[in-house]
Amino acid sequence: MSVGFIGAGQLAHALVKGFTAAGVITAHRITASSPDTDLPTVSGLRKMGVSLTTSNKETVNKSDVLFLAVKPHIIPFVLDEIGPDIEDRHLIVSCAAGVTISSIEKKLLQYRTAPKVMRCMTNTPVVVKEGATVYATGTHAEVEDGKLLEQLMASVGYCTEVEEDLIDAVTGLSGSGPAYAFTALDALADGGVKMGLPRRLAVRLGAQALLGAAKMLLDSEQHPGQLKDNVCSPGGATIHALHVLESGGFRSLLINAVEASCIRTRELQSLADQERISPAAIKKTTLDKVLQQPGVTVSGVANGNGRSGLSLFNNRGSGIKKKN
Amino acid sequence: MDPEMDSQLKIGFIGAGNMAFGIAKGILSGNVLPVNVKVGAPSSRNLGRFQELGISVTHSNVEVVGSSDVVFVAVKPHLVPQVLSEVSQHVTDRHVIVSVAAGVTLATLEELLPENSVAIRLMPNLPCVVQEGALLFARGSHAKQEDGALLRSLLHRCGLVEEGPEAWIDIHTGLSGSGVAFVYLFAEALAEGAVKMGMPSALAHSIASQTVLGAGRLLRDSGKHPAQLRSEVCTPGGTTIYGLHTLEQGGVRASTISAVESATERARELGRKSAAGSRK
Repeated sequence: MSVGFIGAGQLAHALVKGFTAAGVITAHRITASSPDTDLPTVSGLRKMGVSLTTSNKETVNKSDVLFLAVKPHIIPFVLDEIGPDIEDRHLIVSCAAGVTISSIEKKLLQYRTAPKVMRCMTNTPVVVKEGATVYATGTHAEVEDGKLLEQLMASVGYCTEVEEDLIDAVTGLSGSGPAYAFTALDALADGGVKMGLPRRLAVRLGAQALLGAAKMLLDSEQHPGQLKDNVCSPGGATIHALHVLESGGFRSLLINAVEASCIRTRELQSLADQERISPAAIKKTTLDKVLQQPGVTVSGVANGNGRSGLSLFNNRGSGIKKKN
Repeated sequence: MDPEMDSQLKIGFIGAGNMAFGIAKGILSGNVLPVNVKVGAPSSRNLGRFQELGISVTHSNVEVVGSSDVVFVAVKPHLVPQVLSEVSQHVTDRHVIVSVAAGVTLATLEELLPENSVAIRLMPNLPCVVQEGALLFARGSHAKQEDGALLRSLLHRCGLVEEGPEAWIDIHTGLSGSGVAFVYLFAEALAEGAVKMGMPSALAHSIASQTVLGAGRLLRDSGKHPAQLRSEVCTPGGTTIYGLHTLEQGGVRASTISAVESATERARELGRKSAAGSRK
C-alpha cells in the first residue's frame, strides 16, 4: 500500500513522522507534493525519506491512499487538478477543516462514478503518536476503507469513526485543543518563573503535570471532578489556586473557546459551500504555483448576479480555464 | 447502640425553640421514651408542641438538669453564660452537656461548667426540624469516645451526624448552617427564571423546590460525585449544557466558594467575639 500527501506542510509532516515512527508504513512508500519547495516541512519530509515532487498528479499516480493535506480553500483547486487521474483504487482522505464530504464528492463525481472519499479531523500530536483523530465515511467508501484509515490513524494515537456532523465540534475540541494546551503551558511556566523557577525547568514541569494528569484521566474510571477533589487537600494550596481559577471564569473560557473554534469551522464550511471565494482570499504565491502546474488553468466565472470571482465547486467540464 | 440503654436514657432540653424541637423529634423516633424527655423554658409559649409529643415540660432549668443524663443547651448564644451559671452546681460527672449555641466555644462552656464536666459542642442546621439535618459535633476535653457515640446514636434520625475537631464547626456553619440559605436563594432564582420564561409563579416555586429536593436526594443516595451526576444530565448539545455554560460564565462556582468562605470567617469572628465577651 502506498500513501500520498497533497500538501507538504505541518499536517503532512506530522502524519508522516507519526506513521514512520509507528512502523505502519515505510517512508519510501510515501509521496508528498507541494508547489513550494522552500517550506521547512518539505526538507523535513525529504530527510525522513519521503519522495517529494511538485506535481500533484505524480503523487496521485504513485498512491493508493491519498491524503488531502492542504488548506481548506485550496481543496477545490486540487480536486479539479487531480480529478482526471483518480482511479477506482484511490481512497481520498480529506483532512481539511470544514470541507464536507459531499462537496468533495460533488467535485469528483465529474470524473468518476464512485469516488471513495473519507473525511478526517486529526491533530498535531500525531507527530508523537498521541494524536486524536475522528473520521467520517463517504458515500462510496467501503467498510474496509474505514478500517484501513483507522489502522493508519490508530498507529499515531486515538482514532474513532463519527457521524460527519460531529466533526466541527471535534475540530473545536481536539483539533484546536493542543493550542489551548500550549497557551496554558506557556502561562503555567510564567507562573513558575514568577515564583522563582528557571524557565526550562518550569516548562518541563508544567508539561509533565498536564501530561500526567491527562494520562491519569484516560486510565481512570473516575470523573475529572473526582480526580480534582483527590488533589485538593482541605485548606491546602491547590484548593486556593482552584478558587482563583474559578473566579477568573476558567471553565467558561474553555467552553467558549471550544465553541468559538467549532462555530468558525462551520463558518468556513459555509463560505466554501456558498461556492464563491475571491482570488484575494487565496494566498497569491500558492495560487500562482498551482496555476503553473501543467494542465491547470483558471477562468473567471460571472454568475447571474454579475459577481465575478473564482468558482470553487461549480465547474463543469475539464478543469478551470485561465481568464485572458 | 444498645436500644435498652437508650430507652432508659433521660434527655433534657434547656430552651424550647425550633432547634430543640427538631432534635427532640429526631430523638423520639429512636428508642427514647417521651416520658424520659423534659423541656424547660421560661414561658409556656413554645412548650405546647413538646407536650403534644408526650414530653414533660417545666419552667425550671435546674429541674431539667436534675432529671436528665444528657442535657441539650438550646438557648440563644448570649443567654448561655446565664443559663449555665444557673445550673452549674447541679451538673455532675454523669451528665453530658450538649450546647447547640452558635459561636460558643468548648473553652467557654468548660469554663462555665464544673471542672471535668463532659461538654460537647453541636452545630445542627435548620432542616433538623424535618429530620433532614446536617449535624457536626466536637467533643470537649473530658468527653470520651463513648459520649460521642451516645450522641451520635441519639441524633442519627435527625439527619446526617458527623464528628470533627472544633475548628470544623465554623466551616460547617458556613457550609451547612448558612448553606441552607444559599440553596433557598438558588431555588428562588430558578423559579424566577421560569417566571421570566412564562410560567406562573406558584407553580414555578413548587417545581423549583421539588427539583432541589429531588436533586439532593439523588446526590445523597447515589453515592456519586456531583460532577458525575451533572455530566449524566448533560446530553450533547442539549438544554442542560447550554444552561450550565451560562452559569459558568456567571462565575457561580467561584461565588459559591466565596460565600462559604465569608460565612465561615464570620462564624470564626463571632466565636472570637463571644469568647472575649464571656471572659468579661
